[in-house]
Amino acid sequence: MDILIYGLINSVALVLMAIGFSLVYGVSRLPNFAHGALYITTGFVAWTFYNTLGLHYALAIVLAVVTTAVLGAALYRLILIRVRGMPISEIIASYAIGLAILEGFRYFGFKGSTYILPVFVSGTLDLFGVTVDYQRLVMVAIGAALVVGLYFFTHHTRIGLGMTAIAQDERAALMLGINSDRTAVIALALGSALAGLAAVTLLPLGNITVTTGYDVLIFALAVCVVGGLGSWVGSILAAFVIGFAQILTVAYLKPHYSMVVALGAILIVLIVKPSGLLGKQKELEERV
Amino acid sequence: MERKTARATFTGAIVLLVVLFVSAGCAPAAAPAAEPIVIGAPLSTGFVYGWDAERGIKLAVDEINAAGGVNVGGTKRPFKVEVLDTRDLEPSVPVSDALLTVEKLILEKKADFIMGGPVRSEAALAALDLLTKHKKVSILTTGALTPSYHKKINDEYDKYKYAFRISGESGWMVKEMLDVLDQIKADYGFTKIYIMIQDVAHARSGGDILKAQLPTKGWTVLGLDVYPGGTTDFSTGLLKVKDSQAQVMILWMDMPESSILLKQWYDLKVPALPFGSILNAAEQPGFWKATEGKGEFVIANLVNAGNAATKVTDWAPKFFDAYKAKYGIEPEAYGTASSYMGPYVLKDAIERAKALAPDAVITALEQTSLMGVYGKISFNPKSHQVVPSYEPAQGAVGSMIQWQAGNRVTIFPPKAATGKILLPSWVKPAK
Repeated sequence: MDILIYGLINSVALVLMAIGFSLVYGVSRLPNFAHGALYITTGFVAWTFYNTLGLHYALAIVLAVVTTAVLGAALYRLILIRVRGMPISEIIASYAIGLAILEGFRYFGFKGSTYILPVFVSGTLDLFGVTVDYQRLVMVAIGAALVVGLYFFTHHTRIGLGMTAIAQDERAALMLGINSDRTAVIALALGSALAGLAAVTLLPLGNITVTTGYDVLIFALAVCVVGGLGSWVGSILAAFVIGFAQILTVAYLKPHYSMVVALGAILIVLIVKPSGLLGKQKELEERV
Repeated sequence: MERKTARATFTGAIVLLVVLFVSAGCAPAAAPAAEPIVIGAPLSTGFVYGWDAERGIKLAVDEINAAGGVNVGGTKRPFKVEVLDTRDLEPSVPVSDALLTVEKLILEKKADFIMGGPVRSEAALAALDLLTKHKKVSILTTGALTPSYHKKINDEYDKYKYAFRISGESGWMVKEMLDVLDQIKADYGFTKIYIMIQDVAHARSGGDILKAQLPTKGWTVLGLDVYPGGTTDFSTGLLKVKDSQAQVMILWMDMPESSILLKQWYDLKVPALPFGSILNAAEQPGFWKATEGKGEFVIANLVNAGNAATKVTDWAPKFFDAYKAKYGIEPEAYGTASSYMGPYVLKDAIERAKALAPDAVITALEQTSLMGVYGKISFNPKSHQVVPSYEPAQGAVGSMIQWQAGNRVTIFPPKAATGKILLPSWVKPAK
């Protein structure tokens, strides 16, 4: 039972880390390698609002998520728009931005293990004989709500439908009058906000460190590549595959290999099915 | 009239210039500043084992320079510290990066001596050849706990004689741990243990030694798990510990994420006493706040006395107060007191050698006998490892602390102890 419960928790954590990256790529075809940096930015901004400015915790985390969303939109509007359509340049530019943000935090003294955010609810619960803390249960609830919310957003709102249209066929969407750049800005803002939401949900379980930003990027990449780049449903599926595989590795093999699972999954998918579990890219070539 | 004014102005300017030149020439010549002795410190400054060492070294250098500097054969010369970030404690940073940093300190910063790191054992071991190549005397003051370091020097003395280590190492730390575990067994009747270590050289070697030695001391080792650096979730591992019914869990991790493990230990109420050696997060004064008090009862090894409040020597409280006064925080982790002692030991050796020549300084360092913050500092003349002891008059004394009510209480060795080991409510004594 503990494997089921903690497998679910680990999988939802991976969903939260990856969903923003997947959304941005799905809509704008832009691999946002600054994703991990935006995640950590939210953590440090929330910490600063709460500890330095003394804001109410709820207000601090809302403002931090909004700040990250604005930052994401600004990054696209000011920098990434200039390299749009040039995949290598997009990767280099977004990674460079992420690097500058993360190393900037380190340079300005945000280092060590003392930067923490309080949990939303403290305490533990016995669930089928397995002890689980409330924060992890809240995290699962937020993850589930997020997936449902995103489904409704992309299927039942004007902006969401525009995003879906761009993701499916950008040229056709343009002919229908959907502004591709504006949609990409919204996608970047939303993707960054999702990274921020993941940060304020997950970081209270540990501490805010610069290196976590790099780890989050790796996990987001692993989930998206395994699930199929641009496929949100594929990403969720991949998060569960990798999440449970990691927990099983710790329980039955050696914890030592838990990090290898994510990277190994990327390798296997690239060899066996490069388009990922539910990805559409290169699917035709694979069939041929 | 205008020409007269112009001539007067010109003449005035010339006179002024002459006066300036003459006065400059007549001014007493400033005494030429003594050439500083450059200490190159390759440290992983993004991590506590890097920045605490930097602070320790700089505090000592400031004190030494304020007292007149180092007497090199009759000439007083100040120390100058050059710190470069090796980043060797960061996951995925290759050892070669740390080596480049050491070489940069030697070649570009013209370091006369190397002090501090590299911090990661793997990098420190690899740097030994660089020290030989450039004939640079080094005093390792933080990190690098692997016994392979002094074993290598011992086995190939002529090649690696340039390297000294002033801080503890895994072998001695294991002995200390076994003695503390004996005490825990006697006090609480515990006999079952689980080992959780990080995938780094010193932790692997420490874990292996413990796994081999604990059964000979009456302990049953129920498991040994190795975690990669950067792990952020330990729930499943901790549930394994809980299921195994271990009463003590040994933690040997220098990653900051170890604070996550300890928060999860509290949340899951794992009925095993966490005994850290090394345990990065729990060493720091900010640990209590970082875990919101969930880290109470955690035991951590600070390796050298003086890194937490103690009166083990006369110098220990002075160092503690000086560090707190300068940086506004207590000494932060296991490399602080030893890094502080580094410049003092080097000064002592240079003054006895009366020169900076490597061979003369090596001989002087081998003959060191200096009462420092954590006891008498002397080196094994063959392996260049600081001589450890439980008795401050005889050698370097260690320090183990337990978090109790927000404070780091020294619980071992007896000469440095200020309190006893306590158990949390969910860890029940077996007798």
